Amino acid sequence: MARLSALRRSVCWRLATLAFACSVACAATAPSEYQVKAVFLFNFAHFVSWPVDTFRRPDAPFVIGVLGTDPFGSTLDDVVRGETIDHHPFVVKRFQDAREVADCNILFIGRTEPVRVDEALAALKGRSVLTVSDADGSEHRGVMIGLFTENNRVRLRIDLAAAKAANLTISSNLLRPAEIIGGNAPPETAQ
Amino acid sequence: MTSQATPIRRKLMQMTLLTSGVVLLFTTASFFAYEILTFSQSTMRQLRTLGQAIATNSTAALAFDNADDAQSVLAAFKAEPHVVGAALYDNTGALFATYPEGLSRNAFPVSPETVGYRIEDSHLIGFEPVMQGHRHLGTLFVRSDLGAFYDRLELYGLISALVIALSALMAYAISSRLQRQLSGPILGLAAAAKAVSDHQDYAVRVPPAGSYELDLLTDAFNHMLTEIQGTEGRLRAQLSRLSLLQNITRATGDRQDLQSIFRVVLGTLEHSLPIDFGCVCLYNAAAESLAVSTIGPASQKYCNELALLEQSTVPIDQNGLSHCVKGDLVYEPDARRIEYPFPQRLASRGFFSLVFAPLIVENKVFGVLIAARRAAEAFTSPDCEFLKQLSEHVALATHQSQLYSALQQAYDDLRQTQHTVMQQERLRALGQMASGIAHDINNAISPVSLYTDTLLEREPNLSERARSYLITIRRAIEDVAGTVARMREFYRQREPQLTLARIDVNAVTEQVAQLTRPRWCDLPQQKGHVIELAMQFGEDLPQIMGAEGEIRDALTNLVFNAVDAMPEGGSLTLRTRVAAGADDRQSVQIEVIDSGVGMSEDTRRRCLEPFFTTKGERGTGLGLAMVYGMIQRHSAELEIDSTAGSGTTVRLSFPVYNQAAASPADVAGARPIDRRLRILLVDDDPLLIKALQDTLEEDGHLVTATNGGQAGIDAFTAAQRTGGAFQVVITDLGMPHVDGRKVAAAIKGLSPGTPIIMLTGWGQRLQAEGDIPPHVDKVLNKPPRLQQLRAALVELAA
Repeated sequence: MARLSALRRSVCWRLATLAFACSVACAATAPSEYQVKAVFLFNFAHFVSWPVDTFRRPDAPFVIGVLGTDPFGSTLDDVVRGETIDHHPFVVKRFQDAREVADCNILFIGRTEPVRVDEALAALKGRSVLTVSDADGSEHRGVMIGLFTENNRVRLRIDLAAAKAANLTISSNLLRPAEIIGGNAPPETAQ
Repeated sequence: MTSQATPIRRKLMQMTLLTSGVVLLFTTASFFAYEILTFSQSTMRQLRTLGQAIATNSTAALAFDNADDAQSVLAAFKAEPHVVGAALYDNTGALFATYPEGLSRNAFPVSPETVGYRIEDSHLIGFEPVMQGHRHLGTLFVRSDLGAFYDRLELYGLISALVIALSALMAYAISSRLQRQLSGPILGLAAAAKAVSDHQDYAVRVPPAGSYELDLLTDAFNHMLTEIQGTEGRLRAQLSRLSLLQNITRATGDRQDLQSIFRVVLGTLEHSLPIDFGCVCLYNAAAESLAVSTIGPASQKYCNELALLEQSTVPIDQNGLSHCVKGDLVYEPDARRIEYPFPQRLASRGFFSLVFAPLIVENKVFGVLIAARRAAEAFTSPDCEFLKQLSEHVALATHQSQLYSALQQAYDDLRQTQHTVMQQERLRALGQMASGIAHDINNAISPVSLYTDTLLEREPNLSERARSYLITIRRAIEDVAGTVARMREFYRQREPQLTLARIDVNAVTEQVAQLTRPRWCDLPQQKGHVIELAMQFGEDLPQIMGAEGEIRDALTNLVFNAVDAMPEGGSLTLRTRVAAGADDRQSVQIEVIDSGVGMSEDTRRRCLEPFFTTKGERGTGLGLAMVYGMIQRHSAELEIDSTAGSGTTVRLSFPVYNQAAASPADVAGARPIDRRLRILLVDDDPLLIKALQDTLEEDGHLVTATNGGQAGIDAFTAAQRTGGAFQVVITDLGMPHVDGRKVAAAIKGLSPGTPIIMLTGWGQRLQAEGDIPPHVDKVLNKPPRLQQLRAALVELAA
């Protein structure tokens, strides 16, 4: 299983750092929930491996899609701006309808769109798209990574079976801080 | 092993342990140094590896801002107890998570510092970036104490100590085995050397040690021992031979005859060299043969089978003996290979090794020493050398023996000669003395003789008794004259002129018995001893021819000896008999037998020597010598049977003669000359002059007597001048101033035709020596017998 070779390619870490520093700095005063979640989305790209045939061209963009209402505003755009992964530039796309979703690598489904979750999942079934949602219990409904808040911190809940079904490989590093549900939970690497 | 063994073993052990200890110490020291040098790097590398692993695992925690997860990742440092502190900083440099839990945040740097590892405050600290790809997510801080280093040092020290201890143990075990390979043989050598020096036992050998150098040493030592043993053996053999040679030399030195020397040499050789057969042969160069002289005592038993008896001869042909008699020692290692008869003879009896050693004296081989052994090649070179030396010694001893014999012979001859010379000197002196005495006695008895003859002839009216006495007197005078005559024989070496007569042995013996009566009867009786005389006379004994007086004297001497031999008395036997002598000739034996002390063998052997006496001062030592002289003059035999303590028998055997010899007594009947003669009588003895004058005047002669030679010459000269010349001159020989010779010469000068009769006490001697002085016509002995005087006057004046 090949990880995304692009992952090792140059990343403009200065920007990321800037974005993250900005978000942390903001969080220090009032850390915005979606600022954190935008960085998380960006970070997922580094901890998940997509099948090799995902990209049609070497310079095809890495697309982060937002389905339905966009809770990030410009935050997500700020985070990925100028960033590349394995020569694939990050692109944020917003989709209103699950059926529109195409050429998307990561799809965020906001908690304001709970109805769309099932719809989207059905539409994306069999496609290598990492689905992320912060809707409550969404991860129990087929979303691969669920975001929830605990002690004022954003936490992850990952459905490995769904990810596996989508032919995606999640880094064990990502699995450690996350809560694993469904499928065969990989062994905890720590503790 | 002895206590001396300890040092070398201990030294070897010490060397081994010290060497291994030092090597180990250096090894561990360098190991330590290396470890100390490389530890920080390796510890850092380890810490970096750990830090990198933890950093890698911390990426998600930092990326997804999960401090709990970061905490749990850091908790992995529990596995490394020397890590005393760790922390994660996020990419803003804020402390994100710490380890261990509960440690104050002040214990960590406020912000991450330069990436890398270093030692600070006795701790090793490091900063490791946490990267996701190229994204810097944060920094990991690690602090480790140096306990690991010390632990490690401790561990190394422990291991080193263990290794050293084990190594020492092993080294001890190994060296105690290995040092034996070194010290064992060396100690063996030392022990062997000690044994050799202590016991002089050169047969000791050191077993091989099994290592090349030590074996070389051992071999050299053993070789040296072998050499020493050999040398010592040879020395011992040489010494024993020298000792043997010395023994033989000493033994031969004690002996003087060849046989004895050869026997002792051969006996010693047989016993000590040893040899199986040995003999000595004497070389006869003329006959080209060897005569077996002596065969060794132990070799005698082989004589018969070897046909080598003493005195048998061995011819010298072209065998080894021919070389030997030229002076070479010949060794035949195997006689079977020699074709010549003599070696073959020895070989056939099983004597295979032969040595012929020449006996050389003054460059001449006089004999051969033959030594044989049964085994072939049994004589070694030293044996031959020894035999050669021995033969030289034997030859020398033999030579010395011969020289000794010759010397002894010369000495004996010299002593005999000296003895004879002394004897002759004594006899000469005695003879001179006897001669003077004889002269005087003859002079003295001359008147007795003349008057006795005159009385017997002129006095017919004499009684029978007086006539018998006169006859006895005349016989005594004759005996005295005879005795005096014989006295002179002592210094005369020529055969005396014997006047032999028929002798009745029994009568003479009886006379002797009567003559000696005082000695065997009267003297012993005075001392209270009795000597019984037995006379056993054979009947009808034939007469013998002899000088009666001599025989009588001899018998008298024998009777005196017999009496002297019986100081306590005993029996004396005079025995006569006829015995058949050699070649059927009869002899008359006279035996004088006593029961006295007898003679020892030595005395018996020497009793006939002149001046040998057992009677001390009383004896002259001439008695038996005179008897022996008489015996020889009579061609008779003398036997003396005597044993000490059981008497002596002296036996005189006279041959019997049947034909009678002419007797000087024939002149007895001479008648006086029928003419009256004028006679001049010259003498210096008045008694003799008177007797002669009386006697001649009785016969009717005119006698003028003068006293002394000069007076005689003067009287003769005066008579011639007056015309009444003397017709006969009778002169004495020995006179003072003018002796008989001068008288005779003077008278012959005056009247060559006047016969001169010389009277002399030395008359017989002059006649016997043919020493009749010139101008003397007749020599008459004193005492002159009337008949002789008459016969001389008839002969000269007729």
